[in-house]
Amino acid sequence: MSLLDVEGLSVRFDTDDGVVHAVDHLSFSLADGEVLGVVGESGCGKSVSFMSLLRLLPETATVGGSALFDGIDLLAASNARLREIRGRKIAFVFQEPMTSLNPAFKVGNQIGEVLRRHLSLSRGDARRRTIELLDLVRIPSPERRVDEYPHQLSGGMRQRVMIAMALACDPKILIADEPTTALDVTIQAGILDLMRDIRERLGTAIVLITHNLGVVADVADRVVVMYAGRKVEEAPVHDLFARPQHPYTVGLLGAVPRPGSGRLQEIPGRVPSLAELPRACAFAPRCPRADELSHSQVPELREVEPRHLVACFHPGPDAEAA
Amino acid sequence: MINPRARRRRLLRKRFLRRPLAIVGLLVALTFVVCAIFAPLIAPYSASATDFNALLAHSSRHHPLGTDELGRDVLSRILWGARASIEAGVFSTLLAMAVAVPIGIVAGYYRGWIDAVIARLTDVLLAFPFLIVAVGLAAILGPSLTNATIALGIGAAPALIRVARGEALALREEDYVRAAVANGASDARILVRHVLPNMLSTLIVQTTVAIPAAIIGEAVLSFLGLGVQPPTPSWGVMLADAQSYLSQAPRLAVYPGIAIFLCSLSFNLLGDGLRDILDPRTTR
Repeated sequence: MSLLDVEGLSVRFDTDDGVVHAVDHLSFSLADGEVLGVVGESGCGKSVSFMSLLRLLPETATVGGSALFDGIDLLAASNARLREIRGRKIAFVFQEPMTSLNPAFKVGNQIGEVLRRHLSLSRGDARRRTIELLDLVRIPSPERRVDEYPHQLSGGMRQRVMIAMALACDPKILIADEPTTALDVTIQAGILDLMRDIRERLGTAIVLITHNLGVVADVADRVVVMYAGRKVEEAPVHDLFARPQHPYTVGLLGAVPRPGSGRLQEIPGRVPSLAELPRACAFAPRCPRADELSHSQVPELREVEPRHLVACFHPGPDAEAA
Repeated sequence: MINPRARRRRLLRKRFLRRPLAIVGLLVALTFVVCAIFAPLIAPYSASATDFNALLAHSSRHHPLGTDELGRDVLSRILWGARASIEAGVFSTLLAMAVAVPIGIVAGYYRGWIDAVIARLTDVLLAFPFLIVAVGLAAILGPSLTNATIALGIGAAPALIRVARGEALALREEDYVRAAVANGASDARILVRHVLPNMLSTLIVQTTVAIPAAIIGEAVLSFLGLGVQPPTPSWGVMLADAQSYLSQAPRLAVYPGIAIFLCSLSFNLLGDGLRDILDPRTTR
C-alpha cells in the first residue's frame, strides 16, 4: 500500500526571463517504510518536486497535478491543513545544517518548539523528549547539548539536530534534501548510517534526494532518476545498478569513482535550460544513442522488466548496445 | 559542568568590561537616569525657587553652577531638566519602535502590494528631515512634553520602518525560516520567534541612535516653545532663556549645552558597546 501517491506533478516558475518548467509530469509513489532515492544533476528538479509537495516554494511557482497522502491531496489542501502535516507527518531535512538552525535560540528549545506545537507537550515533557531525540540521533551527552546554541555545535552535529527535529513528531515521511552534501565524508557515513537506523527502528519512509549515486546504493530500496524535470528511470536499487537502462543512468554510473576502474567517464554537454521543454527526449543532445526519433518525440515511460521503468527509445545497460 | 546560562552571562560581562568607552557610556547614562528619577531628592533647590539676592550669580558654595536671571539654581534646573530629556528620549523611542517594527516586519516578510505601499509612504516621510516632521507634528498637537514625545516618536518611525523592513527582507530568506515553515510553524510564530529575535541586535543599535536624537529633538522643540512649557525646567527651555543673557552670562547656555551633549553621547557609547556584545552570532 502506498503512503504517498504523486500523479502528474508539474512545477513552473514565472520569472522575468519567461516561464521555467522545473518539473514536468512527474509521477511516483512511496510505500510505508520505504527508502526512495531521487537522483539527478543539480537543477534537474529533484528538490523543487518535493518542496512543492508541502508548498514550500516561492509565490512565483505554479504547481499542478495531485499528491495523495493519507487521503488528502497535498496540492489542494488548505494552509491550515498543510501546517498540521508539515513537520508532523511529513518532515524535511535541508541541505545546509550550518544555517538551518535559528542562531538566537538553544537547539533544545527549537526542537521543543516543534513538539509543543504539534503534540501539545508541556515544557518539561518537551525537554525530556528532546533529550531522547538527541540521544536517538547519537549526539553525545544530550543533557548538555540541549542547552547549547547552534554556533557551539559542529556541522555534523547540527545536521543530527535537524534530523532530530524532523523526527520529533514521529513523521510518516522524512524528506532529506542532500542531507550529507555539506558534510565531510566520515560525517556523511555517520548520517547515512543514522538514516538506515531510523528506518529500521521507527519504520519511517525516507526520501533521499541526492546527486551522489554512492549514497543511494548505500541506503535506498528504490531509485528514481530525474533529468531536466522528468523522471527518466525508476527501478529497485539492485536492478538499477546491475542493469541500468537509460543512457543517462549509464553515464551517471560511469562517473562514480570505483577502485581500479581507471579514468572516470563524463557525460558530455550540460543540463539543458528548462525555459522551454523540448518536444523530444531532453537528454538527446548529450546522448550517444540519440537518433531521429529521440529528437522528434518525447519517450514515454515503459516497463522493461518488472518494476523497472525507463523513458528511452533505446534502453539497455550497455553504452555500446545501441 | 558549568551551567551554560551562567557561563554566557559571565562571557557577556567579560566582553562588556573590555570596552572602556561602553562602561563610561553606561555610567554616564545611568547617572542621568538616576538624576531624572531622583531629581526631587538630589537637587539642592526646587527648580522654580527664586533667590532675588542672587540674580545671574556666579558659581558659589550655595549655587555650584550659579543662578539664572530669576535667581533660580542652575544645577537644580539641570537635574530636573534631565527628566524631560530622558522621558522624551526613552518614551518617544519606545513609541517609534512599537509603531515601526510591526509595520516594517509585515512589509518585509510578506512583500507584495502591502510592502510596496508601506515602502513608498516611508520614502515620502523620509524625504522630510526628522526635525521638520517633529516640529510640524508638535505644532499641530500643541505644546507639551507628552505631545513633543509623540511627535518625536512618529518622526523617528519612518527610519525605523525602513530598518525593520530591510532586516525582515533579509531574514525571510534564511534557511531557518524556511525550515520553520517546513516544520509547520504559523506566520505569526515565524515572525515572533524567528524574524524578530534575529533583528534585535540591529534594533538595539537603532534604539541607541534614536534615543540621543530624541533627546536633542526634545531640546529643540522646547527651545522653540513647542515642548516643555516654562516654568517646568528643560535643557531646551534653559537654552532659550539664556539667549537674552549670552553676553553677560554665557555659562547659562554652556551648562545645559554640556548636559545635552553628555547625555546623548553617553547613550551612543552605550549602544555601540551593546551592539558589539549582544550579537548572538559572535557569542563565543
